[in-house]
Amino acid sequence: MDELNTAFSAEGSTARRRTHARNRSFVSQNSSQSVTQHTRPRLKTPSLRHRTSTPDSLRSTFSQSDIISPIPRRHHHLQAHESRLWLDTPPLSPTSTRAGSPGSTRGVTPLSLRPRHTLSFSSIAEHDPSRSHHVAHDKKSEDSMARRWVRWMHKHGIKNYVIPAAVLGAALIKWCIGLGSYSGQGTPPMYGDYEAQRHWMELTLHLPVKQWYSYDLEYWGLDYPPLTAYVSWLCGVIGNWINPAWVALDKSRGIESPESKAFMRTTVLAFDTLVYIPAIVLFTRVWQESRSTRTQHVALLTLLFQPALLLIDFGHFQYNSVMLGFTLLALNFFASGQDLLGAVCFSLGLGFKQMALYYAPAIGSYLVAKCIYLGPQKGRSLFIRLALVTILTFLLLFLPFLPPLAPLSAILDPIARIFPFARGLFEDKVANFWCASNVVFKWKVWLSRPQLVKMSAILTAVGFFPGVVTLLYGGWKHRMLSEADDKSRAKDSPSSSTPEPLLPLLPYALLNSSMSFFLFSFQVHEKTILVPLLPLTFLLSGSSSGSETFELGVLVNNVAVFSMWPLLKRDGLAIPYIATLVLWNRLVGYNPLRLNSQSFLRYLSLAIYTAMVSLHILELLISPPARFPDLFPVLNVLISTPIFALTWLWSIKRGVEVSWALGGLGPSSTPAKSSQPALSTLRPMLAERKPTLDRLTVNGLDGVPEENFNLTLDKDFIPNARQLKTRSLGFARGAKVLQRTASAELPG
Amino acid sequence: MNETHSLLEPFPQKEPIPASKQEGEAAEPVRIFRWRTLLQLDVASADWDILVLSTCLKLLLFPAYRSTDFEVHRNWLAITHSLPISRWYYDTTSEWTLDYPPFFAYFEKLLSIPAYFIDSKIVDLQNLNYDAWSVVVYQRITVIVTELVLAIVLQRFIREAADPSVQRIISVSLFLHPGLLIVDHIHFQYNGFMFGILLWSILMARNGNKLASGFLFAILLNFKHIYMYLAPAYFVYLLRSFCLSPTGALQPTKFLSLANAVIIVFLASLGPFILMGQLPQLLSRLFPFTRGLNHAYWAPNAWALVTAADRVLLKVAQRFGIEVLAINEAGVASTSRGLVGDTVFAVIPNVKPIHTFIITIVFQAIFLTKLWRLPSYKSFVTALTLCGYTSFMFGWHVHEKAILLVLVPLSLLAAENNAFFRTFMIASVAGIFSLFPLLFTPAETLVKIVYSILWALLVFEPLQRKVYEFPTSLPFVIIDVLEKVYLAGFVVLQIFVTLFPLFTQRSAVSTTYADTVNKTVHCGTDGASPCGVVGADVTSGSASGLEFLPLMLTSIYCAVGLVWAFIRLSVLYLKQSEDGIWT
Repeated sequence: MDELNTAFSAEGSTARRRTHARNRSFVSQNSSQSVTQHTRPRLKTPSLRHRTSTPDSLRSTFSQSDIISPIPRRHHHLQAHESRLWLDTPPLSPTSTRAGSPGSTRGVTPLSLRPRHTLSFSSIAEHDPSRSHHVAHDKKSEDSMARRWVRWMHKHGIKNYVIPAAVLGAALIKWCIGLGSYSGQGTPPMYGDYEAQRHWMELTLHLPVKQWYSYDLEYWGLDYPPLTAYVSWLCGVIGNWINPAWVALDKSRGIESPESKAFMRTTVLAFDTLVYIPAIVLFTRVWQESRSTRTQHVALLTLLFQPALLLIDFGHFQYNSVMLGFTLLALNFFASGQDLLGAVCFSLGLGFKQMALYYAPAIGSYLVAKCIYLGPQKGRSLFIRLALVTILTFLLLFLPFLPPLAPLSAILDPIARIFPFARGLFEDKVANFWCASNVVFKWKVWLSRPQLVKMSAILTAVGFFPGVVTLLYGGWKHRMLSEADDKSRAKDSPSSSTPEPLLPLLPYALLNSSMSFFLFSFQVHEKTILVPLLPLTFLLSGSSSGSETFELGVLVNNVAVFSMWPLLKRDGLAIPYIATLVLWNRLVGYNPLRLNSQSFLRYLSLAIYTAMVSLHILELLISPPARFPDLFPVLNVLISTPIFALTWLWSIKRGVEVSWALGGLGPSSTPAKSSQPALSTLRPMLAERKPTLDRLTVNGLDGVPEENFNLTLDKDFIPNARQLKTRSLGFARGAKVLQRTASAELPG
Repeated sequence: MNETHSLLEPFPQKEPIPASKQEGEAAEPVRIFRWRTLLQLDVASADWDILVLSTCLKLLLFPAYRSTDFEVHRNWLAITHSLPISRWYYDTTSEWTLDYPPFFAYFEKLLSIPAYFIDSKIVDLQNLNYDAWSVVVYQRITVIVTELVLAIVLQRFIREAADPSVQRIISVSLFLHPGLLIVDHIHFQYNGFMFGILLWSILMARNGNKLASGFLFAILLNFKHIYMYLAPAYFVYLLRSFCLSPTGALQPTKFLSLANAVIIVFLASLGPFILMGQLPQLLSRLFPFTRGLNHAYWAPNAWALVTAADRVLLKVAQRFGIEVLAINEAGVASTSRGLVGDTVFAVIPNVKPIHTFIITIVFQAIFLTKLWRLPSYKSFVTALTLCGYTSFMFGWHVHEKAILLVLVPLSLLAAENNAFFRTFMIASVAGIFSLFPLLFTPAETLVKIVYSILWALLVFEPLQRKVYEFPTSLPFVIIDVLEKVYLAGFVVLQIFVTLFPLFTQRSAVSTTYADTVNKTVHCGTDGASPCGVVGADVTSGSASGLEFLPLMLTSIYCAVGLVWAFIRLSVLYLKQSEDGIWT
C-alpha cells in the first residue's frame, strides 16, 4: 500500500524530464482551451482554489463544477521534490497574459498524492490565512513597473535582453549614486569609510603581509578578514599602475581627486558585477527554477535595485555586495545540492567580511541537519568532507599569517582586529535592542563591559535558537521518515547530491539568525541591517504582490533605509536616498499609501510611514533642542526597532509553519494515516487511465502501452468515472508510474 | 490633378480620422476639444513608470559635472532678476552675457523669482561662479520640471497615433533621449523644454491645427533662435497647406490669421526692446558673426570631412613635395591642433560664410520644392528634419549640440519603414556619439556610454523587429553590410578614445595630477564652448602633438555616418512618390 504512495519519488528524475515535455504540452493545450472558455472569472473565487487543497476535501474535488470548468492545476511534476516552489507562489503568473497554463497556476494536487517528504511550500502558502484577503484582488493592482517592463520586453521579442539590460541599468543607477559624495568626503583628518578602504589599498600594496594588521592602527587599521586585504591589494596594484599618486604610502591619505574617486567607485562596481550580479542571476535561476521566466526576471529586478545595498555600497562606499554575493552563491550551491562548493563560498564570504557570521548559525545548522537527514553513513561522510573543505578554505585564506610563512603569533593580529570586543556596545545610534532600550535603561551605566558582552551573547544565542532548532529537528524528523521508508523498501535512501526537504527552512533560519544578531549582538553598526535584509529581500523577490511576505519585505526594506538616514544624511546622500527609495518602490509595485487590504500589517505600515515622514519634516523644520542633540536619531531608532523585532518574530513564526508544513507533526503521524486516503484517490484515477490514454493518442502523443491498464479495481473506489474525465489531464505521467507499480503489486 | 488629390487626402491610413475628414473651418470644434483634452490627466501606468524612472535618474545626476552653461544660466537669472529690462542686453558684469531671445529672458526672469526665496545669493549679479548646493539643486530641478512640457506633448503624440505601441516607443525614446540627458541634465541647458514646444507645434500640425502650429513655432523662435534652422520648412508648409487652397489660391483670412499670430508673438517678445530702441543691440547679441568655420571640436558635419581632407592633403603635399598644391602657410598651423579660432585651410581653398550660406540655401531649396509639391504631415516632418540637417551639415560655425535639431524630428519618422529606420539608427548613433566629447570627466564617461547603450538597445531592437526587411539586391546587401561595419566601428572608436588618454597620461607621468585637476575649465559662450578641447587638455595633462587625436577621430567618424544618413534621408525624401501615399 505504501508503495503506491512513494512511487513518485522512486521514479528517476531523468525519466520524468523525458515524459514531461509531451505531457505538459498536451495538458497546456487542453486546459488552456477550457480555461479560456469557461473558468477565467472563476479562478478569482478563493473557494474554488482552496477547496481541493486539503485531503479532507478530496471528495468534493470531483464535484460537478470541475467537469463544466476544470480548474487548471500545476502539473504535478512541478510539485515534485526537484522543484523549489516553496518560495511562495503567485495566484496566476501576474506577468503572464496567457490563459492559465499548468505551469503558472497553483498546485492543488491532493496532499497525499505528493511524495511525502517533499511537500512544496506553495501548498503551505494556500493555508496562509493572511492570503485569503489577497486572492480576490484584481490583476491591475498586482502590476508593478518591473512586471510591466518585463512583459513589454517579452512582447517585443527581446526577452533575451532583459537580464543584460537590467544589469546595465542597475550599473548605471549605481554609478550615478556614486557621482555624489561618499562617507567622510572633505572631513579631515580622519575622513570615513571611503578613506579606510582606500587606505587599505595603499597599506596592502606597500607593506609586507605581516604588517597589514599592525601598521598605524590609529589611522584606519585593517580590521576586515584577509580576503578583503587581498582584494585591496589587487585594487592597489591596478590603481598604482594607472596613477601611483592614488595609493602612495602615507602621502595619499585623504586624496580626493575626481580621478581617484572614479577609480574607487569603479572597483566597487567591478566586484559587485563579478560576485553579486552572477549570484542573484543564478539565484533566480536555481531557487525559482520552476517559475516562469517573467517571474524570474521580476525577482532579479527586485534584487538588483534594492535601495539599502545601493546606497551603502555605491553612496556611502563599502564592498558589502561581495560578502552578500558569496553568501548568495553558497545558498545557490546548497539549493542545487553542491554542499561542498556552498561551504567554500560561504567561507569566502566570511573571509571577506566577518558580518557573514550573522548567517553562520543558520548555515551551520542547515548543513548539520542535512548530515543528520542523510543518515549515519552518508551523513558522516558529508560532515567530514564539509569540515575538511571549510578548514582548508580558511587555512588558505589565512595562509600568509600561519607557520611556516609566519610565526604562530602572527595570526593573533588579524583575529584581534576582526573581532573588536574592545569597542562599545553600540556605535552611533543603531536600531537594535540595546540602543532602543537604552532610552529607558542605561546599559553602559549599570553593567560592565564583560557583563554586557556575555549578556549580548546569550541574548543573541536565544534569538537564533528557534531557527537552529527547527532546522535540526527537521533534519532528524526527515531522517526518521526516510528510515520508516527504508524498512518497507530498501532502496531510495536520500543521496547527498539531491537537495533535500530542509531547504525551504533555510531562508527563514537565515533571517532569524541574522536578525537576532542585528538586534542583540555586541558592536552593531546601522549598516549591518544589510545582512538580515538579504534573506528577506530574497523571500520578497519570489512572493506575489499583496502577500504577507511581500508587504513585510517591502516595509522592512524601506524602514531599513530609513534607519540608515542619519548616516546617509551625514554622507550627503539625501537625494539618492529619496531617488532610490522611490524607484525601488515603484519597481516592485508598492504604494505605501494604498490601504486596499484591511490587514494588520497594512495599518502598521501606514502608521510607520506616517511616523517616518513626520520625522523627516520635523527634522527639516526645527533643530533639536540643546539638551537632546541626538533627538532625531533616537526617534529614528525608536521607529525602526519595533519593525526589526517584528521581523525577527515573524521569521520564527514562518520557520515553525514551514517546518510543520514540510513534514507534518512528526514521524509517527504521517506514513500510516496518509496511505489510506491516498489509495482511495489513486484508484479512481487508475480507472481513468483509458480515457486519458485515448486522448493522448488522439493528440498524436505516444502514451503508455495500453495493455498495462487492465487493472481490477474496487467499484467502491470509483465515485463516478465520467465525472473524472477532466481530472485525468494532469495525471498522465503520474498514472504511468502508478500503473507500473500497480501491475507489479496488484495481480491483474 | 494628382497634386490636389494628395492635398485632399494626405495620408488616409495614418491621419487621425476627424482631422482628415473635416478640412478647413469644420475642424474648429475639434480643435477646441483638443485644447481641453490637453489638460486632462489620463496617463497610463507605463508612462508614469518612465517619468518616475527618468526623474530618479536625473535626481541622481545632480552632483554630476556641469559645464559653464550652468554658470551662464545662473548669471542670466541674476541679470533678469536684479536689472531693469532695459539693461538686460547691455550688461557685461559677467563674460556670459545674455544672448538668447527675449522669451528666454522672460523665462529666466520667471525662474529667478523662486530662486530669490530659496537662496538670494543665486540672483546676486556680482556673485560670479556661485556653485553652492542650493543653486545646483534649484537649477537642475528647473530643468526637470520644465521638461514636463516635453513629457506631456510626447504623451499626446501617442493618443490618436496610427499605431500607439510604436508611437509609445518613439515618444519614450525622445523623452529619454541620451542627447537630452547629456546636454540638459549633465552639461546643463533647457533643450528638453524647448523641444517640447517644437514637438507641440509638430503635434498641432499632425492634428490639423496649423495655426496653432505656426503660433507655437513663433514662440519657440523667440526662446532660442537656433530653431531658425527649421524655419524655412515651417514657412513653406504653412504657406502651402494653410494659407493656400489646394488649387493654389490664396485664402486671405487664413493667411492674415497666421500672420497676425506670428506678429503678435514677435511683438510680445521684441516689443519692449523695439520701444526702447534696443533692437540693434539685441540682434548683435543674438548673431555674433565673429566666429570661425569650425567649432573648436569640429562638429561632425561636411566641413569636418573637408578639414580632415585638407589635413591629409597637407601631409601628402609635405611628404612628396607636390608643388601643384599651393600650401597656405597660415593653414599649416591653424587646425593642426584643433584649437579655437578661424579655420584656415592649408591646401583646399578657404571657405567664407557666404559659401556656406549659399550651399545651405541651395540644398534647402531642393527639399522645400519637394515639400511644396507634397505638403502632407509626414512630408513636412521630413522636410523639417532635412532643413535642420542641411544647416547642420553646411552651416557656418555649427555646434555639435545642434545635432539634436536633426535627431528629434527624425525620431518621429523612425518607424516609417526599414529605410527610414536605418537612417534614424545611423544618424542617432553617430549624433549621440558626437555629443560624447561634451562630457570628458571620468565619472560621467561611464554614464553617457552605459545610458546610450541601454537606450539604443531598448529603442532600436523593438523598432527593428517591426520594420525589418531583407536587403533585396546586391548593392543593398553591400550597403547593409557596410552600415553594420560602420556601427560596429563605434565600439572600437570608444575603446580607443577611452584608452588613449590613459596611456598618454601614464607616459606623461602622473606627478602632475594635482595641477591637472586644479586647471580651470574654460568654455566659450553658450553654443560655442570649446569644453571638449579643454577637457582633453585636463585629462591628458601634458601637451603632446597627439592629444587631440581622439577628438578629431570622433568628429570625422561621426561626420561620415551623419553625412551618409543625410544622403540617405535626402534620397528617400526626394524619391518619395507624390501621389500622397508614403511608400
